[in-house]
Amino acid sequence: MKAAAEVNSMNLLDINTVKRKEKSKQKLVILSFMFMALFVYTLFILYPIISTFIYSFYDWNGIETNRAFVGFANYSELFSDPTFWQSLTNNFYLVGVSVFVQIPLGLMMALVLNSNIKGQKLLNVIFFLPYLMSTVAVGLLWVFMFDPTNGPINKTLNSFGIESVTWLAGSPSALIAILIVMAWQFAPFYMILFKAALVGIPEELYEAAGMDGANDIQKFFYVTLPSLIPILISSSVLAIVGSLKTFDLFYVMSGSGAGTSTAILGTFMYEETFVNFRMGYGSTIAAMMFIIALICVVIIQVIDSIQKRKRGLS
Amino acid sequence: MKSLKAIMAFVMVLGVFLLAACGQEKTSTSKEESSSKGSDEKITLNLWHFDPGKREEVYFKAIERFEKEHPNVTVKPLLIPNDKYKQRLVVAMAGKNAPDVFASWGGGYLQEFADSDKLVDLTDKDIDYSRFVDVALENSKFGDKVYGLPLGISTYQFYYNKEIFEKNGIEVPKTYNELLESIDVLKKAGLYPIALANQPQWPGAFYLMYLADRIGGEDVFKSAYNREGGSFADSTYVKAGEMIQDLVDREAFNPGFNGLPYDAGAARQMIYTGKAAMMLMTSGFVNNVRDEFPEFEKKMGVFQFPALEDGKGDSTNISAGISPVWSISKSSKQQELSVELINELTSVETGTAYADMSGTPVAIKGVEPKDEYVKTFTEWINAANSIQFPYDQTLAPELAQLHKETTFKLFGKTMTPKEAAEAMEKKAAELEKK
Amino acid sequence: MSTLKLVKTSMLYVMAAIIALFAGYPFLYMISTSFKSMNEFFTNPFSALPDSFTLEQYASVFDMGLSSYFLNSIVITVLAVALVVIIAALASYPLSRLKFRLNKSIFTLFIIGMMVPIHATLIPIFVMTNDLGLYDKLLALLGPYVAFALPISVFIFTQFMSEIPAELEEAAKVDGAGHWKIFSKVIFPNVKPAISTVVIYNFIHIWNEFIFALILIQSPEKMTLPIGLQKFYGEFSVNVPGLMAALVLASLPVILTFVIAQEKIVKGLMGGSVKG
Repeated sequence: MKAAAEVNSMNLLDINTVKRKEKSKQKLVILSFMFMALFVYTLFILYPIISTFIYSFYDWNGIETNRAFVGFANYSELFSDPTFWQSLTNNFYLVGVSVFVQIPLGLMMALVLNSNIKGQKLLNVIFFLPYLMSTVAVGLLWVFMFDPTNGPINKTLNSFGIESVTWLAGSPSALIAILIVMAWQFAPFYMILFKAALVGIPEELYEAAGMDGANDIQKFFYVTLPSLIPILISSSVLAIVGSLKTFDLFYVMSGSGAGTSTAILGTFMYEETFVNFRMGYGSTIAAMMFIIALICVVIIQVIDSIQKRKRGLS
Repeated sequence: MKSLKAIMAFVMVLGVFLLAACGQEKTSTSKEESSSKGSDEKITLNLWHFDPGKREEVYFKAIERFEKEHPNVTVKPLLIPNDKYKQRLVVAMAGKNAPDVFASWGGGYLQEFADSDKLVDLTDKDIDYSRFVDVALENSKFGDKVYGLPLGISTYQFYYNKEIFEKNGIEVPKTYNELLESIDVLKKAGLYPIALANQPQWPGAFYLMYLADRIGGEDVFKSAYNREGGSFADSTYVKAGEMIQDLVDREAFNPGFNGLPYDAGAARQMIYTGKAAMMLMTSGFVNNVRDEFPEFEKKMGVFQFPALEDGKGDSTNISAGISPVWSISKSSKQQELSVELINELTSVETGTAYADMSGTPVAIKGVEPKDEYVKTFTEWINAANSIQFPYDQTLAPELAQLHKETTFKLFGKTMTPKEAAEAMEKKAAELEKK
Repeated sequence: MSTLKLVKTSMLYVMAAIIALFAGYPFLYMISTSFKSMNEFFTNPFSALPDSFTLEQYASVFDMGLSSYFLNSIVITVLAVALVVIIAALASYPLSRLKFRLNKSIFTLFIIGMMVPIHATLIPIFVMTNDLGLYDKLLALLGPYVAFALPISVFIFTQFMSEIPAELEEAAKVDGAGHWKIFSKVIFPNVKPAISTVVIYNFIHIWNEFIFALILIQSPEKMTLPIGLQKFYGEFSVNVPGLMAALVLASLPVILTFVIAQEKIVKGLMGGSVKG
């Protein structure tokens, strides 16, 4: 299609040569668009990833000049380490909460803001507030919110006649508490994504649905939701991948302590690497985190391309 | 598509090439640095530490004195608070930009660096070792070699509210049974007997350490630590765990203690405002009171961990942490100057200022503390039959971490004393083999 | 009919109020605490309003010289965010609009980047920064910040770009536009919501970034705000009211960026250029 105009003007040349030239020209274009990104990415992300995989085959404390090659010993230790399995389980809860709580909550917030409610601009900023704060601040604030004796959360529970909960001290209440904070902190991010997508839905679609006599709920299910499917899939990818590498909030709110009920892969890896001086083992954990995430991403991509084919986009 | 691959390969090669080129540049600059060792040359020493506030001021004064004697030298101090400090130091030691002089807590943490050949052996340097309290020096001595000079000795004791004790007719408990009795009285009065914020895990670990010492004496830990027939699964540790859980069952502590971070102030708040009556804490708490809630100092008293009636441990035994311990990294190009700097950082003058300003005794002889609390703590140290350093600083990092975790679980009652003790011994035996 | 509408509207407001309370209360608490004196904080740590407002915490924030950290943070954040937007948008164009064999693989490669636990990269990046001679320079942060922002930015851009209808592009092609022209005249202007999302996301993350700033910077005059906030931490204590005051101030640039970026989305819609 694109070469057609040119072919006309150069009808003496073999069409195949033109195509080949076009192709190699396109390669150059592609590369020039991606060069900067690939360069920075290779230097600061690929190189550390490769280093991590290399370290994972060594018994190394991270500071010694000599390190001993141990093959897959770290991996076999990891698979028999109960902390690894506990952390992995907690990470899966985290993924669940991210996908099934944060995303719906974010969608709800976006819909509220997208309605004709008064004070939209102010609400917009208020809804967004949790996301702008650094995790250290978030952790500190919620420690006060969850205070076992005088915290606002327990006070609220008490006023409904529910007894105080020692949130961050118990199991599984500590995990639940941190997951609540995660939802609080990250729902606004999905809200922003959904808002950006909502403004892109053509008004005509709603008008057409209105003419067909659809009510608000029907409009939501027949117009809004189908239009949001790509962004829902994207959000799920972000949620899954993001929750696998979570670190900060768990570290701030539960302290380190990989053996405790709130351990996740991120804190487990941190502790082995920087507290226990086991760089090799810590790298093994990180390497496993990549592998797990890669599997998740590939699965989602497969689902995504099936979806796209269904909608006739690809 | 081949060419795209080729171009991608080119990107990577370019990256590597750039790295290599810059690596070259780096070696040439380091050559410059080492050749410029003349006496008038400007020299910079990097010093890292983790003590903010009054203690930092003390170090600044010491640095000033040092710089006056060495006009061509500038010392660049860098303060990084607690746990970030450890991470920063590990990363720096792995690279080439380790600080010349740095502070640590001695013990197993410092030993990790010594074993990795990252520290300057100070044994035969120009240092007058007679000025240090012997036992404090032990904390940074590994295999007869000294790797660090100690400054402060932070003792661990109970702080209490005198007004509350008086109102409830409680005497300062001399024995553990008296402590238990006073806990019951305070509970009946509707107070939290002891404030505890155990999320960081070390505040609770003080109890295990003291109880084990009172039950079995100081040798239990020593022989388990040195692997000389002792064991972390010793009945002493099981008993100590049982006593901790007994305290929990008596509701000696405020609710939800395992979820409260210490630094945010929940435990201190209870003590300051009279909601709790006692707290087992480091000598640094004196400074917290003065900074945060000065009016509490009038009501504040201190007492040592009480004696155990049927225990083997000497009741004068005290637990204390050594900090800071000043060491020099091997990559420093100015080792002799660095030795002079750490000499100044542990001089009698620095020690005196530290004792007066930090609420904490020092490991340096000939310092006469003026502060009442520091005087008391110093007397306790001098009278002590033995000093127990905190396990989490003495043990190898991995075992130290397990110790904090198991003790945390004892407090949370998610582990039995026997399980905790056995987990410790198992890890200790495992590490011994390595 | 109108009662039904009333019920619906009031339900909407109730929901908005609940979310606003849930989202806003901790922030309100932060502001309130920043106006408490140390003494009052320890006497009434949980009260929603201070008994007596004091500005001493804010005064101490300025006394601490946090303004230079503030400036460094602004410089590095703006620089990094601008670079990320350009680099990521450029890279997303071929990934989303052009067909070539390595497309999926390169895209996946970028997505994997979202996965990298930062702590695993610290030592390699520290060593590399030293080798590049960038250690203890503000510029040292640029590389890691841009690199770590790339995956999610590329991801967001490709999602939005692939939703642009082909007709827009075809029209430009008929006019004889090349790839650069298509990118700059058709694609880029049509992903304004994506741009503002990327700006908001990265601004927040880079503004709050702690760990790289901790390991790559040593001199106080080059430190960023999150490192500067460490001044509020004691050996085992935090100056909570002081820290809260600093955090309130630190959140202002982010709120501002958010409001401006959000306006852009709305404007983009008004211009009629966004039709997904």
